[in-house]
Amino acid sequence: MLMDPRSRRFTRLYAWSQIKLKYRYTYLGFLWNFLEPGLYLLVLSAVFSFVNRMNVGDYAVFLFSGLVPWRYFEKTVNVCMDSLVQGDWLLKKLPVSVFALPLARWIVATVEFAFAFVAVALVLLALKPGWSVHCLVLPVSFLPWALLGLGLGLLTASLFTFFRDLRPIVQLGLLLLFFTAPILFHADLFPAGSWHARLLAFHPFTYFAALFQKPLHAGRWPSSIDWAVSFSVALAALAAGAGALRASRRRLYFYL
Amino acid sequence: MSHARAEALSDGADSFWLEGVGVRFGRNLVQARSLRHAAAGFFRTSGIEWYEALSGVDLRVHRGEHVGIIGRNGAGKSTLLRVMARVIIPQQGCVRVDAAARVVPLLELGIGFQPDLSGYENCHLAGALLGYSRREIEDRVPGIAAFSELGPFLHEPVRTYSSGMYARLAFALATDVEPDVLLVDEVFGVGDEFFMARCAERIRRLMSAGATTVFVSHDLEFLLARCGRLVWLDAGRVVADGEPEAVAERYRACAGRAPVR
Repeated sequence: MLMDPRSRRFTRLYAWSQIKLKYRYTYLGFLWNFLEPGLYLLVLSAVFSFVNRMNVGDYAVFLFSGLVPWRYFEKTVNVCMDSLVQGDWLLKKLPVSVFALPLARWIVATVEFAFAFVAVALVLLALKPGWSVHCLVLPVSFLPWALLGLGLGLLTASLFTFFRDLRPIVQLGLLLLFFTAPILFHADLFPAGSWHARLLAFHPFTYFAALFQKPLHAGRWPSSIDWAVSFSVALAALAAGAGALRASRRRLYFYL
Repeated sequence: MSHARAEALSDGADSFWLEGVGVRFGRNLVQARSLRHAAAGFFRTSGIEWYEALSGVDLRVHRGEHVGIIGRNGAGKSTLLRVMARVIIPQQGCVRVDAAARVVPLLELGIGFQPDLSGYENCHLAGALLGYSRREIEDRVPGIAAFSELGPFLHEPVRTYSSGMYARLAFALATDVEPDVLLVDEVFGVGDEFFMARCAERIRRLMSAGATTVFVSHDLEFLLARCGRLVWLDAGRVVADGEPEAVAERYRACAGRAPVR
């Protein structure tokens, strides 16, 4: 077992307290959970429609279907990465599982994503008339993203404790992954057989993005290769992250 | 880096049994927190300088025993308490802890408190860290509220509390329980004299109820009044361990420094 019952209960309560606290002292309170992502997407839609004079409907649906899970993934990795370093107030005082704090942050990010997705659904409903049954697969599409975020979050949390140079490296890596993945552009922009297309076939986020883009934008099911690659990568990342944190847990105290 | 064995004690007689425990900190760890340093380590011939916080510590604490730990600043007292609380996993030796005991470490008041949460919410959050269920904490809230004398302030954010209110709530929560083992690290220096007297009274009741207690303190009179055994640490080693008056007399005579052999 990675966590004892005491750590599990604390993780749940701590995550819930962070969710409650986020907007506790604001006038709109809980509503911000929906307003913040909704307004973000509305601003993006306005930019595409008025500034770039694009056909906003189709591109916005395509963009948001990849961007929303990406933002969740990116946030998860970033907040998990410094969870241990910022958690010395606890880890140096009480015998709590080293998984507790990264896991709590992952739970918070995941709950925020759930709120965001409700807002996104409303925005997308306004942008695209007619939705297909393929959208029902989205909860399953979310799983590989969540597992990958948690896996890389645990891995970076462990490594960041020992190597504080890691933050800019991870952020640059995420930036590189984002701009090279078919999130801002269609994968079929490049002719089949071109080196761009071949490179994209090796980009893991081609498959992760397809899990949302195909049901939401193209109105079809993700392919078996999309599922196979994304689940394999996510589970490998989770195993690597959990293994690294477990292996380093005895030494963490001395580096916090 | 090797690590100590951590085992569960189930002999029914002991709360802790430490054998040859050693804890050391790398002296240059401040610089070591970078990839640059790690890469340079491949070409470095000299090893890391280590600071021995604890070295070859043997300590057996029986169930229901009241032990005081004394020593100068930097002697390793707090590190030893953290080893017993299983916060630090030592690099050497063997640490055995009573498997059935509820160990409550009081290394600092208010661990786990979130400033923006109310006192009541913090009771639940910090209570979880002490191993209590929602039901158990709910049952204890009236007692915690009474001891801390917070009244309606219990439902206000703890960031609005005075340091005395904060300390009262934290102490009430940590001790309104029935710990089998209580590890206390110099947490009585807060609050007014009336509050301190009530804290001392509560600790005395826990001790007479059979809880094993280990105190780290610089207050020799406090320890002499409450402990049946005193352990003197210096430079990470046990210098003396035994009857409180005798250990305290040696400690005072040597001004806290271990006699040169």
